[in-house]
Amino acid sequence: MSQGVRTEPTREAVREARAAIEYCYEQGWTDGLPVVPPAEEFVEEFLAQVDRDPEEVIFAQEHLGRKCTVRLAAANAVMAGCRPEHFPVVLAMLEAVRDLPVSRGLFQSTTGQAVLVVINGPVRQELGFNGTDNVFSPGDRANATVGRALRLVVMNAFGIRPHTFDQSTQGTPAKYSFCIAENEEESPWEPLHVERGFREDESTVTVAWARGTMPVEQRDSKQPEHILLNIADSMSYGGGYFPSPRGHGSIVVMGPEHAQLIAEAGWSKHRVRAFLWEHFGRRAGELRRLAKAGGLDPDLPDEAFVRFAHAPEAITLIVAGARNAGVSTVCPTFVWQTVTRRIPARRM
Amino acid sequence: MADGILFEERGIPAAAVITDAFRRTADAMARTQGLEGYPYVAIPHPISSLSPEELRVRAEQALPEVVRLLQEEVAG
Repeated sequence: MSQGVRTEPTREAVREARAAIEYCYEQGWTDGLPVVPPAEEFVEEFLAQVDRDPEEVIFAQEHLGRKCTVRLAAANAVMAGCRPEHFPVVLAMLEAVRDLPVSRGLFQSTTGQAVLVVINGPVRQELGFNGTDNVFSPGDRANATVGRALRLVVMNAFGIRPHTFDQSTQGTPAKYSFCIAENEEESPWEPLHVERGFREDESTVTVAWARGTMPVEQRDSKQPEHILLNIADSMSYGGGYFPSPRGHGSIVVMGPEHAQLIAEAGWSKHRVRAFLWEHFGRRAGELRRLAKAGGLDPDLPDEAFVRFAHAPEAITLIVAGARNAGVSTVCPTFVWQTVTRRIPARRM
Repeated sequence: MADGILFEERGIPAAAVITDAFRRTADAMARTQGLEGYPYVAIPHPISSLSPEELRVRAEQALPEVVRLLQEEVAG
């Protein structure tokens, strides 16, 4: 900047960049925020990171007659602001989303679910995924852009956009990007990918349908039961209940302070999930008061406890966030299954 | 909408029924399937909060239109 001779060309380049960004808006390629123009050379850089045929279809929405190829995924990852080395994570994420139950319908659902993306393993440090303070918040490029790449694929590859096929009644800001890393270093328990049979030194991406985030405050007690009853109470809010033949699920993103207090009291991860499952639900009378008792046996007494999930496995437990206060988060969902996939090494 | 159009493509008469809150999506789906203007029956929204009796009234009101669509040739 101090070398005055470069001022004019720089100004010209910036004007051209702005025109390119405006061009992307005119094409209808954005989520409302500016995107990086998907120039062919940028897309090729991304494709060079993976050992895949660019024309291979990785994810289709047959009822819309639309599909996402490896090349189209790369173009959308460019637009999302990813770096080329993020692309193997983006591909693993898209293939995991493809394998989720109801991956055909929920992008269009009136409920407006987003996809929570959880990163585990060494790729977190290698690519700078945040799993600590402000874990759900803006500020970290890897989280922001990898999560955004999924949304741009949904909009551009599948044509599922607001005002047409995305029929969300209200939606959630989590649809922009909803990508976190697990705070494995401060978790007292085995990380999610190890729980699911992957090695600690492997990197994975886990995806889950989720409706947003609900904070759980509990700073007044060290007792595991108090902390967990607050979390279970937030999991069980009446307005989120949706009678479903597949059964409800819930994703609990426990802050390290809560997790460590509970683990120091001798509780295993399995015991935590079993306890949460026991208390995940409402009394029949409360469901009747909310007119949410459609599937209930009319003879069931009001004081009977109705569990929302079929088993502790319907609760996904992750540790993330900062160890600076007693805050955890519940991500409500009614689809309990999640999918974990290994992230392949980059092609060097 | 997609199901109705796919049925018709296979020679099975179909009548798509939506509530009027979904007109925009229904029209977009018809365009996507290459049948812009594909006719459907739009009944008043909402229906999920109706009693079975109220729902029956809606169905009876929609019936003549449903029958008409089932008998109509689909262009395209």
